[in-house]
Amino acid sequence: MKRRKGAAPTRPSRFVRTLVEIEGREETRVVEIPDFEPAPWKADAALTIVGRATPRFDAVEKSTGRARYTADVQLPGMLHAAIVRSHQPHGCITAVDVDAARAVPGVVDVLTGADLPAGMSVGGRKMFDRTVEYAGQPVAAVCAASAEAARRGAAAVRLTIEAAGFAVTFADATAPGAPRVRAGGNVAPHAPFIQERGNMARGLRQADVTISREYRTPVALHSALEPHGAVAEWTDDRLTVWESTQGIFRTREQLGAALRLPLNRVRVICEHMGGGFGAKNGMGTHTLVAALFARRSGRPVRCLNDREAEQTDAGNRNATVQRVTLAAKRDGRLTAILVEADVPLGVGGWESGPAKIYHELYRCPNVRTAETFGYINAAAMSAFRAPGHAEGAFGLERAMDTLAGALDMDPLALRMKNLAARDQEKGRPYSGGSRLAECYRDGAKRFGWTRARRANSATATTGARRGVGMAAQIWGTGGGPPAYALVRLNADGTADVLTGTQDLGTGSRTILAQVAAEALGARLADVQVILGDTERTPYTGNSWGSMTTPSVSPAVRMAAEDARRQLLEAAAGMMGVSPDRLEARGGTIRVKGKGRGRNARAMSFAAVAEQLGDVMIIGRGSRGPNAPHAAVVTVGAQFAEVEVDPGTGVVRVLRIVAVHDAGRVINPLLAGSQLQGGILQGLGYALFEERVMDRRLGVPLNPTLHDYKVPTMADAPSIDARCLDGSDSTANHVGARGLAEPPIIPTAPAIANAVANALGVEVDEIPLTPWRVLAALARRVGTDS
Amino acid sequence: MRLRVNGRDHDVACPDHVTLLDALRDELHLTGTKLVCDRGECGACTVLLDGQPVYSCLTLAAACEGQAITTIEGIGAPGSHHAVQSAFARHDAAQCGFCTPGQVLAAVALLRQIPAPTDAEIVAAMSGNLCRCGTYPRILDAIRGAAAELRAAGAGA
Repeated sequence: MKRRKGAAPTRPSRFVRTLVEIEGREETRVVEIPDFEPAPWKADAALTIVGRATPRFDAVEKSTGRARYTADVQLPGMLHAAIVRSHQPHGCITAVDVDAARAVPGVVDVLTGADLPAGMSVGGRKMFDRTVEYAGQPVAAVCAASAEAARRGAAAVRLTIEAAGFAVTFADATAPGAPRVRAGGNVAPHAPFIQERGNMARGLRQADVTISREYRTPVALHSALEPHGAVAEWTDDRLTVWESTQGIFRTREQLGAALRLPLNRVRVICEHMGGGFGAKNGMGTHTLVAALFARRSGRPVRCLNDREAEQTDAGNRNATVQRVTLAAKRDGRLTAILVEADVPLGVGGWESGPAKIYHELYRCPNVRTAETFGYINAAAMSAFRAPGHAEGAFGLERAMDTLAGALDMDPLALRMKNLAARDQEKGRPYSGGSRLAECYRDGAKRFGWTRARRANSATATTGARRGVGMAAQIWGTGGGPPAYALVRLNADGTADVLTGTQDLGTGSRTILAQVAAEALGARLADVQVILGDTERTPYTGNSWGSMTTPSVSPAVRMAAEDARRQLLEAAAGMMGVSPDRLEARGGTIRVKGKGRGRNARAMSFAAVAEQLGDVMIIGRGSRGPNAPHAAVVTVGAQFAEVEVDPGTGVVRVLRIVAVHDAGRVINPLLAGSQLQGGILQGLGYALFEERVMDRRLGVPLNPTLHDYKVPTMADAPSIDARCLDGSDSTANHVGARGLAEPPIIPTAPAIANAVANALGVEVDEIPLTPWRVLAALARRVGTDS
Repeated sequence: MRLRVNGRDHDVACPDHVTLLDALRDELHLTGTKLVCDRGECGACTVLLDGQPVYSCLTLAAACEGQAITTIEGIGAPGSHHAVQSAFARHDAAQCGFCTPGQVLAAVALLRQIPAPTDAEIVAAMSGNLCRCGTYPRILDAIRGAAAELRAAGAGA
């Protein structure tokens, strides 16, 4: 082929637009089409490392205390910073007196709003603003030789705040004559936000049975054990930040913008991370505080939230009120779903409402949701494991049980009657088909649903009462580009995988090594994954929206396949055969097939690498675009049995059975842990967890792990949680979808349905603390008499 | 003050009001012991004092002179992990791992006291150690496994 000198070859651009879904929100982005995409691993692919229950790579590091978290980073000469927070929920700071703080022994520096570069902001809010809109808002910071001195210094800063009226509940913020809670107003513009399909009037008209109820969900706190925190160090004009984060690259981008630094002068590191659950998606005030003090002092600076700050101003799952109407034919077919929701977000955050699951989970031609997003004088919400869906599932799935009661149908039968065969919002098929019916059937069988329903309806009327309930979930888990990986073959035949993701405790470090070893044909022990460092790795996005596995594992697989292709090419020359006759497995390259001399001519990776000397094989991989015409979701069903003491109102969850379909499971041990973890967080949401605000003072009353109760081992039920076998080759060529968020979604409604079943009462609000259970019982007694 | 930590004496210069947790982390740089709530609510800072589990955030360093302090760094040795540590790894009893050092120490103390605990005894002993990732079922499995392993090793010795 002849080409004129200087003329570029013409081919279609590799950079195209595609749809990416993050935590229920879809965005269109530019993506790069990879040079090649490996053929999908089908369900019956003969994989030996992917699919194996391998212990996580860093398990020993963690159980020996050697795993180093951001909170453990100690640098020579390091100073400590503490943030001063407003105790007033609303007002204007008229004076910040720092003299007493500067006089505290050990204090070296103080930062107030006046010291900051103009326009410095965090999460869209002006940093250290004089206008205070919630109790806990950062207003200044103190830097000292020790954490204790910094705390004392922060406590010594005197704020004069001209107080303004405030509201900390949706009702108070939207009542006539309510104080203006923030500059942007008390209700989001365009309220209510309506999403609709079909014809609601017709749907209601066609119905034989209609139920309407109101459901309430609380503000829940992430309560990650490692607080938000950062350590910052400058070397001339280069900044290194250790951050407990779900997104090293996003943190870098935000730091670069805030400090006006070129991105190649900012390095963000997150080696191990003590929990995020959605609240650690980028730079925070603490990050800038550490970076600014470090620049001013010329010394490294650490700034960590204390527990009160972590429980007050580190994100939360917003509360909801959901007024739900379900309408159905006598045989159970849904004809209409109608929801109006009130959603107080705090002073900010994004518009995360409960509506989406009402559009997705069941087949129904007529659906209308109307969400009113309000603002209150409390810390902004943030994503929290399945934001929106965990809240929406409580309303929808409680209403489904109420409808089942009105129809005199088994709740499971009602759900089976309303299976959604395709994504009804966009009319797309599900990438892996919908296997929710299988989840229902398998779960019901493992749980013994039919027998348990019968047994529990015959429970005696005195003493502890048992009940069973179930609920379903659906959650977009397709992930998407961009995500990049490199695979380097070392001179001894071992391999390094480099990718810019992070391991939140989900096990990404381990499962990515499994994918790389499988695709490369290496031994798992010879593969290590390097992640959590923007300077060492190529770009990968945040670990949110159950995206890491479906986004990063295909990039890693492609990089490993690229490295294997080169390795086989190198080995072919050494072995005197053509590369396509070779295969790599278990760290050895052999001639394919079973012919004689196959083993005699085998070469280990180490032997090939040795001959290559310092010639390095580098494989490059990227995540290709999503299939345009399929919805990628993880679905599942959960069943719960509870015991309720009607005398004390105490609910005990006895057992949970969970069956989900997440496509290919790369590591069943780790997947099982993630399911159990989501279920236990869901149990906390169902029974214990709620932030309590004082309406008169406008402050949170329980910012501690004592008063905000998360589950303990004593609360853990027996859990039988599994995923269906299979692979979703439409979703991506590894076949895996996300699994992190789905298990929390159906847990609370399944438990609440079980409590309702145990007591024969309506349950319309979580958490089901003893007083709520007793109140529900009292309402029934009131009705009976 | 002089603290005996993991079998070695350390002279520590810190005021009397400093907690054992802060002394371990900030003076001795033993960062395996974690600070989470700083008020005895979560168990992440658990260490052993003469073999008994204590919350080091509620214990004054000065009050520990003359007692044997064991932190996670003093459990097992490189290449020879304690049965509880190996069981935690095998059973995937750590996700983020931030609570894990405290969990391991609470479990080690339990198994020293009750070599063959019932599930109820395990739950009672471990309920002061929070895990937000929800690894409790795995921790229960790990402790059962470690108990069996330690008993077998003891019987063989």
